[in-house]
Amino acid sequence: MANYLAQFQTIKNSCDHIVIAVEDVSDLWPNIKSGFEERVPIKRASLNNKTRNPVLVENFPCEFILTTDSRLRSRFPQEQSLFWFREPYATIVLVTCEDLDEFKTILKPRLKLIVQNDEKEWFIVFVSRAHPSNDNAVKMAKKVYAKLEVDFSTKKRERCCKYDIHGPEANFWDDLESKIMECVRNTLDRRVQFYEDEIRKLTEQRFMPVWNFCNFFILKESLAFMFEMAHLYEDALREYDELELCYLETVNMPGKQREFGGVDHGDDWAALLNHENKPLTQIVQDDSFREFEFRQYLFSYQSKLLFKLNRPFEVASRGHSFIIGFSKALTLHENMLPFCMREVWVITACLALINATASRNYDGLVAPDIEKEFYRLKGDLYSLCRVKFMRLAYLIGYGADIEKSPVNSALLSMLPWPKPPVWPSVPPDASPEVLEKEKVILQATPKIKHFGIQRKPLPVEPSVLLREANRRRASLSAGNVFEVFDGRPALIDGSASDASSRIPLSKKMNTISMLRTNSSPGTFDGSVDRPMRLAEIYVAAEHALKHTISDADLWKALSSVEEFEKKYLELTKGAADNYHHSWWKRHGVVLDGEIAAVCFGHGNFDLAAKSYEKVCALYAGEGWQDLLADVLPNLAECQKMLNDQAGYLASCVKLLSLDKGLFSTKERQAFQAEVLRLARSEMKDPVPLDVSSLITFSGNPGPPLELCDGDPGILSVTVWSGFPDDITLDSLSLTLTATFNADEGAKALRSSTATILKPGRNTITLALPPQRPGSYVLGALTGQIGQLRFRSHSFSKGGPADSDDFMSYEKPTKPILKVFKPRPLVDLAAAISSALLINETQWVGVIVRPIDYSLKGAVLYIDTGPGLNIEESHVIEMETCVKISQSSAEMMNCKGTQKDCSLAPIKEFQQLKLHNGRIEFPAWASDTNSVIWIPVRAISDSLPRGSSSVTPQKQSNLDGMRTIALKLEFGVSHNQIFERHLHFTDPFHVSTRVADKCNDGTLLLQVILHSQVKATLTIYDAWLELQDGFIHTGQGTGRPTSSFFPLMISPTSRAGIMFSIRLGKVIDKDTSFIHKACYYVETKHRAFNVIRSKAVQGSCHGTLNDLMSRLKFEFASCLKKFSWITDEVEALETESILNIRYGISGERTNGAHPPVAVDGIETEDARQDLLFKSAIVLQRPVLDPCLAVGFLPLPSTGLSVGQLITMQWRVERLKGPEDNGISEHNGEVLYEVSANSENWMLAGRKRGHVTLSTIQGSRIVISVLCVPLVAGYVRPPQLGLPEVDESNISCNPPGPHLVCVMPPALSSSFCIPP
Amino acid sequence: MATTACFIIVSRNDIPIYEAEVGSATKREDAAQTHQFILHAALDIVQDLAWTTSAILVTEMLNAFSFFILTNKKYWLLQTLLNPLYLPGSRIVSSHFDTKVRALARKYL
Repeated sequence: MANYLAQFQTIKNSCDHIVIAVEDVSDLWPNIKSGFEERVPIKRASLNNKTRNPVLVENFPCEFILTTDSRLRSRFPQEQSLFWFREPYATIVLVTCEDLDEFKTILKPRLKLIVQNDEKEWFIVFVSRAHPSNDNAVKMAKKVYAKLEVDFSTKKRERCCKYDIHGPEANFWDDLESKIMECVRNTLDRRVQFYEDEIRKLTEQRFMPVWNFCNFFILKESLAFMFEMAHLYEDALREYDELELCYLETVNMPGKQREFGGVDHGDDWAALLNHENKPLTQIVQDDSFREFEFRQYLFSYQSKLLFKLNRPFEVASRGHSFIIGFSKALTLHENMLPFCMREVWVITACLALINATASRNYDGLVAPDIEKEFYRLKGDLYSLCRVKFMRLAYLIGYGADIEKSPVNSALLSMLPWPKPPVWPSVPPDASPEVLEKEKVILQATPKIKHFGIQRKPLPVEPSVLLREANRRRASLSAGNVFEVFDGRPALIDGSASDASSRIPLSKKMNTISMLRTNSSPGTFDGSVDRPMRLAEIYVAAEHALKHTISDADLWKALSSVEEFEKKYLELTKGAADNYHHSWWKRHGVVLDGEIAAVCFGHGNFDLAAKSYEKVCALYAGEGWQDLLADVLPNLAECQKMLNDQAGYLASCVKLLSLDKGLFSTKERQAFQAEVLRLARSEMKDPVPLDVSSLITFSGNPGPPLELCDGDPGILSVTVWSGFPDDITLDSLSLTLTATFNADEGAKALRSSTATILKPGRNTITLALPPQRPGSYVLGALTGQIGQLRFRSHSFSKGGPADSDDFMSYEKPTKPILKVFKPRPLVDLAAAISSALLINETQWVGVIVRPIDYSLKGAVLYIDTGPGLNIEESHVIEMETCVKISQSSAEMMNCKGTQKDCSLAPIKEFQQLKLHNGRIEFPAWASDTNSVIWIPVRAISDSLPRGSSSVTPQKQSNLDGMRTIALKLEFGVSHNQIFERHLHFTDPFHVSTRVADKCNDGTLLLQVILHSQVKATLTIYDAWLELQDGFIHTGQGTGRPTSSFFPLMISPTSRAGIMFSIRLGKVIDKDTSFIHKACYYVETKHRAFNVIRSKAVQGSCHGTLNDLMSRLKFEFASCLKKFSWITDEVEALETESILNIRYGISGERTNGAHPPVAVDGIETEDARQDLLFKSAIVLQRPVLDPCLAVGFLPLPSTGLSVGQLITMQWRVERLKGPEDNGISEHNGEVLYEVSANSENWMLAGRKRGHVTLSTIQGSRIVISVLCVPLVAGYVRPPQLGLPEVDESNISCNPPGPHLVCVMPPALSSSFCIPP
Repeated sequence: MATTACFIIVSRNDIPIYEAEVGSATKREDAAQTHQFILHAALDIVQDLAWTTSAILVTEMLNAFSFFILTNKKYWLLQTLLNPLYLPGSRIVSSHFDTKVRALARKYL
């Protein structure tokens, strides 16, 4: 059967659609052919697939072929069964007949004969030639057709249809199509069944020795082909898949090793999409096929079907895995294949797949994720192709042009070298090429990285090519290998890579020259024993590849470095674009970087920079620092070339901020040098630069700096520098941002002086001008280096700047500065609250309590109010305040760091001088509470007045109030003004009381002394200067018994002193004057007598004159004395004066204390007696009353509302007219009755004069008619005598305060008496 | 052929937070970048998986992967991430964690 392979192939190529046979019985075909063929392809056809499920096929192709056609006639029966798929699928019998007899006798038997073959699917088309106008003919045709139907159609199946040649019926064509399809479907089903049976039979024999894969293949492919013809591509594809599966099972069966194939010329050119590459007969081997060709053949059919199914994505996806799988197979057979066959095949296969899938535009036809996957696959294919291409390029010496980037290294260093059985050797005539290559190797300058970065280039080979190539040369023993590396042991280690690009140029020169001396140029003729040199390896590989590669384009791409780069760029771009489309951004961007490297090499820095920026952004964004460190210098170099200073600086800064371990110190210093060089010299215009990753800053740990409103301060900030060396900043400023006041804007603190930042931690102090109240955080750090304006936003975390962490998580910003709202910064308070002695110099204590604020250099201005004097000459004392622990307790609580005053053991004391009302604070007082003692004296001119116990006098504190104004200047322009009230008082408050009135007229006057101060008072002496009308009893001087003294009075307690006095005579003023004047004159009497007697004696004129003047003098003195006496009498005592000599012993911290000795010479022992004077008014006893008013009793029945009653008062004269102090008018007395008009209704005269005899004992009754208006206890009407002083009226018995008024009596008319 | 497994834990924002190279092969110091590169590129695949499989763990918790999946790894990982002092996104520097990972690697590779 395998012999039919060629024929099978031919048949397959010649027929690609289903055939429908036309049995033209009545020679009608030429007439109706065009009409029939117009219906092809059939628009909609329903077929059954392999699993007998109906499938709708559109545009079903078929061809009508007459049975008499040679194509159907000349077939052997055996062929027919084998290639059954090409046999007609339906037979149309075309007949016509116009006569029933003819039909019965001729046509019917003939038709029976035709349709008796069961194999055929047939139906009859009766063609009616009758013209519609010819009724007879039409009728006849109908009759014949009816007969035909009866004879050939069955109940189960309609096998006839009628075609009217002059105008077919409307549904004829549909009928025809459905009949055709019915036949085709039936035939197809039957044939599928047949093939399946055959295949099953063969499959059952699979493990028998007779089994032949070719036979199986023919059957299987026939079935597949049949499906394909019927447009059942899915089924066809499944057949091919099964075929492939079966093949892979058989080909890998042990013991059945066959030739692999792939050794023919052109085999390197992948034919995975080209099913016509080689006829099957060429690849048949024994009972099977060569794997190399056959697998590609199968894949080509699969892809063809997939394309037909419009599934290029699947082609790509199957293709990718096919290439991977096939590449593995190629590896297995590599030692039989030409040099680098595998690489070349993969390249061409990938390109073929890419081209095949790209040439079809399927955009928008599929779901986005499938499309994404499709792009990804294409990216993978490009990438795969690119790797293999690079490998080939490396082998022929373009290694220096391959960028040693991580991506290339990752791809190439893990890709093993090709393993030919024998490494190709240098062709005999290739010495000029070798020389050329050597020259190229020599001239190749290793790419020096920018900034002089010394870094081992990443390997782009799995192991050293030199060794690998020589090892694979058959005749070279392992020992010989080392000859190659003689003197270069460093290159033998596994990490060493391409020798030419690795070692520095000078060293390489030595190496090459050494090689030259070792081997003369004449030995290039490929002596097998000598190890090959690199150039020779390249040349040999080139020749071998030339032999391998049959694709001219591919070879062209490898023919020169330029072409290589072109192709390389094309592949890289393809891969990158596709990866980008597939959202594999990392793959895409990385390949963009490779494109950038090429652009860079060609001086196209603009493009290169753009791509590099993308790569850097990707790595930086995701924090892959190692990778970033590899690319960033390239970007920097591009930017430098483009004179993009801002970008270049930013790159330098980024480089500096990368992990310290990624670059050596020297390299980092180079970065810094570049930054400085640009900043200081090259740049013309200022360039802003963000150095957030490099210079970070933070406030100092601990609480924020706290300032009061309006205070300047010094802010200390920690700045971390990521520069490797010291760096001088021309200026530095730091912005402060208010935390809760956004519109305030940031305030910049400047330090205009140059600052040198050491690497690592620096502490920088900045002068802080007064800020508004609020809380501030650090904003941004800005500064200038030369023309470079840098700016940093990042806060360091308190440790070294963690620059590898690119993620910007929000760090809660700690306030660095707090400026408090205006608040009292200091408190001045009076040290004591108790009163001080008035009119005496007293220490007034002022407590100065700084509230979390230093009072350094504070000055206190003291201004006294009216009635207050400061003893300026005296020192002012200042001492630490220790007594205020209570008052400052709450302050201590909220401020732990403040020195606890009460715990501070050091008690400072200092004497200060008051200059122009100002006191300068000593240094020790700046932070602690202190008290200033100021000697002041409250002046009061008025004499304190005692009060009577009968009519207690209200004490007014205001008299003793004095105000002291204090102004404290401290801090920066902080001055606070305080007014403190000081309370001064007399030592005693005096009240008097007549304790007893004795029978002999002696009055015992009790003087009660109430101490007003918080100090112990000691009374040494007390005496009373009595006013007129009072005299001391006995001969006393008005002093109590002296043995009572000294009398101690405790603070705020009382003491009493008893004086014994009695009433004296009241002296009239005139009487007193006369008395005194006369007395004086009497005393002068003698002097006048002397003058008279001298004048009587008579003497000389001179003596008289003398006497005259003497007399004049005496008169003058008399007149003077009189005026004095007048004054004296005028100022006659109307009040008594109590004098108390006392001493005081008290603490100034408590209150009153002994007065300050102004001169300061005061000794402690010296008792200071103070005198206290108090005026006491003594009143002579009041006279007896002269009138008595009595209220006459009310009726005993009581009062009730509305009841008329008479109120009666009796007025009686108690004294005679001689002793009457009352002014009266002819014995008439004015009276007045007053009552609350709401309670009482009065009738009669309320006011008037009544006549009362002036004789003692005369009496009169005043009566007024009243009606009570309200019930209850009400105040009765009162009788008043307005012209008589109240003291002269004696109310005896006194009138009632309240009287009871009953409710009105009930009316008896309505009430039944009880 | 001696293999080197490079194990990197990547945080949610694709930032490498832990890196360990385990395996028997001698270290090639110049290959560090290559390893990083491979793993970085592999993130594309992980991302694809996260998109298509909607595995919550992958997207939500951590994009943790390695060349070889270590079975017990997750436990230690979680323990580290549950550490309240761990700042999301910062590198894992605990030597204890490092030792554990290496021990697990030896056990399972």
